[in-house]
Amino acid sequence: MNTIAFAERTRGGRPFLDARLAGNLRGALWLALIAAAIGLFVMAFGSPFIVRLTATAFINLIAVVGLQIFMGNSNVVNIGHAGFMALGAYFTAIFATPVMIKATMIPNAPFGLAGVEVGALYAFLISVGLTSLIGLLSGLVLVRLAGIAATILTISILVIVQGVLVTWTDLFRGAQAFFGIPKVVGLGLIVAAAAAVLVVARLFKGSRAGVQLRASATDPLAAEAMGVDVKRLRLVAWVLGSAVVGCAGALYALYAGTINARAFYFHTAFLTLAMSIVGGMRSVTGAMVGVALLTVLLELIRIVEGGITVFGIAFPEMLGLSGLMLGVIIVGVMCFRSDGFMGGHEIEEVVTALRRRLVARKREA
Amino acid sequence: MDYLIEQALNGFSIGAQYSLLALGLAIVFSVMGLVNFAHGEFIGVAGYAMFAMAAMGMTDPLLLVVFAMATVTLVALVLERIAFRPVRNAPSTTGLLTAFGVGIILQNLFLLMVSPRPKAVPELSALNQTVDVWGHNFTILQFLEVGVTTVAIAGLVWFLKGTRIGLAMRAAALDFTTVRLMGMRANRVIATAFAISGLLASIAAIFFIARRGAIDPFMGLLPVLKAFVACVLGGFGSLPGAVVGGLLLGFVEVMLIVLLPDKLAGLRDASVFLIVGAILVFRPQGILGRRVELGDKTA
Repeated sequence: MNTIAFAERTRGGRPFLDARLAGNLRGALWLALIAAAIGLFVMAFGSPFIVRLTATAFINLIAVVGLQIFMGNSNVVNIGHAGFMALGAYFTAIFATPVMIKATMIPNAPFGLAGVEVGALYAFLISVGLTSLIGLLSGLVLVRLAGIAATILTISILVIVQGVLVTWTDLFRGAQAFFGIPKVVGLGLIVAAAAAVLVVARLFKGSRAGVQLRASATDPLAAEAMGVDVKRLRLVAWVLGSAVVGCAGALYALYAGTINARAFYFHTAFLTLAMSIVGGMRSVTGAMVGVALLTVLLELIRIVEGGITVFGIAFPEMLGLSGLMLGVIIVGVMCFRSDGFMGGHEIEEVVTALRRRLVARKREA
Repeated sequence: MDYLIEQALNGFSIGAQYSLLALGLAIVFSVMGLVNFAHGEFIGVAGYAMFAMAAMGMTDPLLLVVFAMATVTLVALVLERIAFRPVRNAPSTTGLLTAFGVGIILQNLFLLMVSPRPKAVPELSALNQTVDVWGHNFTILQFLEVGVTTVAIAGLVWFLKGTRIGLAMRAAALDFTTVRLMGMRANRVIATAFAISGLLASIAAIFFIARRGAIDPFMGLLPVLKAFVACVLGGFGSLPGAVVGGLLLGFVEVMLIVLLPDKLAGLRDASVFLIVGAILVFRPQGILGRRVELGDKTA
């Protein structure tokens, strides 16, 4: 909608909601509904394996949406988000795990944390809060840099978090798995959280701050000339994004019950990054599409990877095939459709365009 | 004092490796604006080329080295042709992500075709013999690293200053359009940049492999991250900056190995990145980078 049409609509009669906000809300509800529908369907009919796969996919979705909030709006490639996922998971684990289990795992935890135990919900909230705080501190440094230097700094964050987790054995158990976290979260809660996060990301993207940030990503000079405070907006997006990613980690801890620092390193970072790219990192709908596409595809490839028999020919085990395909997909998407599957569009735009095309075709006929 | 001298040479030799890698990154970046995330995989290519040749019975270390260097340069050229040419005019984020995909492909090819587990490449281990120089213990490798890197950098300077294509590459860093208007072929300039970057990476790779004596599919990841850090430290896209950043990084790393107790060894890489982050906070443009304001015509 161009500016003039927008102004005319607001002048003629006051709509109940600001048109832009209404559009964003509609798109957000679409996404939340689709996520909820998939979740409910799987909960009703899925085998335990499918349920587990879906739960992981939705946790990945939350992480990818968190990634989108910063990367999609500011156009700075972020690889450090897996570190925030680790922080979210570990903080939850430290606060939620029963004192009895902690007495054997981390008896010497500093700050008397070995004797602290709170309910899972509070642990979740504390963990997301702490992750956001670390996001704020790192963000203050990050916004001083732009472009590739900022990307390098996000990698540094990942390496530093991993180093601290592995070395500080008194608090994080080092390279050993942290187990005994109460498994209180099921697929239902994860889906609900994913739906909520989708709405948050859509509203942020459409908000004043989101629009200004996206403008600064397209043309920093023009945006600054218009009085956009790029640094502050990047900081806001970074903190919000790290809170969402931390939420993904926290849910993972409460779902799986056992976490390991190695699980939140470059592999996770690259996988979620690939999901974001394939769907189109500029759109929230793209995050969902990317997660869905890559989850299904990688699962299919994993069947081949384990060695299958087709028409009597036994194919050997092919470790690395899924990784190889992941790379091929990324390069292919970048070469032929660098904006990803959704091309930066959101679901309600696609629906409107489709409807318009149908109407036009009907009129022609 | 002895210890200090030994560690200083150690810092130099490790820093030299990072400088070589960082130079390759900086050359490609300055010419075509591509952040080549797949640069680290050149180390893997060199390693697996040597491994394959050794498995087929070629044991002469010198031949292996030459073969590895030729393979890496060839792979760099092929990658430029099939993966990076389609995204040449795309925004830098697209190039970065393409390179990152290429890196994943190469890593998984090693994994798929050879093995996910580390493999031994002992042919170069003779270089780790210690020699006695004025009462200090050095390895042959350390001298080679410092010496070969110096020669390589000198050769690069000659190439950039003394040849026509080198001049074109330096000009391309400032204004590619004008270079093309002068009748230089864009493809040739960029292909040369990739070939040089591959060649420098292969030299670094041979030192890495000689030090470790083994290869694994993901061995390129950490070195390339450090090379990136070196580039950013020195000022991204600046060639002298890449060398200075690489040497500085080598010294910082050796210092940390000496200073950090074994219990905190896991924090070694983390500390390197922390120190670099701290430097960038105070000098976001890097050590030799020029501060560019938004809207400056020459970047």
